[in-house]
Amino acid sequence: MHLLKHRFTSAAIAGLLAACLLSLLSAAAVADEDLSHSFAPVDPPRSVPDFSLPDMDGELHTLQDYRGKVVLINFWATWCPPCRREMPALERLYSKLGGEAFAVLAINQWEDADHVFAYMGDLNVIPSFPILFDPESRVAEEFGVKGLPTSFLLDRQGRVVFRAVGGRAFDHPEVEQTIRSLMAAE
Amino acid sequence: MKRRCLQLLATGLVVLGQHAVADGNIEKHANPDTGLLSWQSQGDALQLELIQVLPDYVRAVYSSRGLPREIIDKVSGYCVFGTILHNRSEGPVAYRVADWRYITPDGERHRIRTKTEWVQEWRDMGVAFRWSMLPDDQVFEVGDWGQGFTTIDLAPGSRFDLEYTWRVNDTTYTRTIEGVECAPAEAPVH
Repeated sequence: MHLLKHRFTSAAIAGLLAACLLSLLSAAAVADEDLSHSFAPVDPPRSVPDFSLPDMDGELHTLQDYRGKVVLINFWATWCPPCRREMPALERLYSKLGGEAFAVLAINQWEDADHVFAYMGDLNVIPSFPILFDPESRVAEEFGVKGLPTSFLLDRQGRVVFRAVGGRAFDHPEVEQTIRSLMAAE
Repeated sequence: MKRRCLQLLATGLVVLGQHAVADGNIEKHANPDTGLLSWQSQGDALQLELIQVLPDYVRAVYSSRGLPREIIDKVSGYCVFGTILHNRSEGPVAYRVADWRYITPDGERHRIRTKTEWVQEWRDMGVAFRWSMLPDDQVFEVGDWGQGFTTIDLAPGSRFDLEYTWRVNDTTYTRTIEGVECAPAEAPVH
């Protein structure tokens, strides 16, 4: 009961904050069609250190376990407007391609499961990919993330091959094609 | 001797890079819902948008992150802007907040305190939160963009000119936004 109450309190705070953020940025809101779909190649591909992070249920996910799949890693937070805007497109992409050969890991920064739980309640479509928690931003630092959102595409060998800083239209056909090409590569 | 000087000058330009004044323009808007002002550059490789942020909003953001009252009071007493940067070019664009200056009405040029400097100050107080602020420096590839708070060491309602720079290849571009106004202490009546 206490946990439930805490979650509803968090939901109210998160909702208020989101309303403030959306109001603040409404003048500057970038229309959906303005979201870029480009990913910059990382050349040469860059190795990243392995990590283990908990999901919403406290289960640990280790990057090494995803070796052999193309992985899209998205660093985000609930208070970040472009992170919120790109989340539905990320889910559409995952619904279409996710499975044996493609995975999405959304790594939340500096928030906890209660906070994100409340945020999920506001979404029309709840993400079906793992939401991981990096409360002290250690993994974000290892990836060299400077701002949110930032996304990385890892090839099947676990190397970073593409990077995108800022919100993206993840369900754009060119993004899908890039991922399919990586999935098909040896 | 003259030839030697020219050689030195040319070498200096190569070492230091070239400088250019950007030729885009600035548009100023007032949000019809809130009355808050924003400034946006047009036509440059790096598009910058500055949006006034009310002290109450700053308090709300930092309170929700659980930051100590001392930090919240201090930051909300400054002039804070939401800053959005876009790479609008067909190649990489780099910026460095440490190179930016704000010019107060007395003509003095001042450094903008960087995110790293804020985080260091907060770390001394046991707080490591850093994500809300504009990163110190970034290289934006095609299609990249970012946003964050920029905090100017002036009181709400102050006015200044902002001189900011960005780099494309070896050329540094400079643009000045004149007459930037910090958000008022309280929401404008409109």
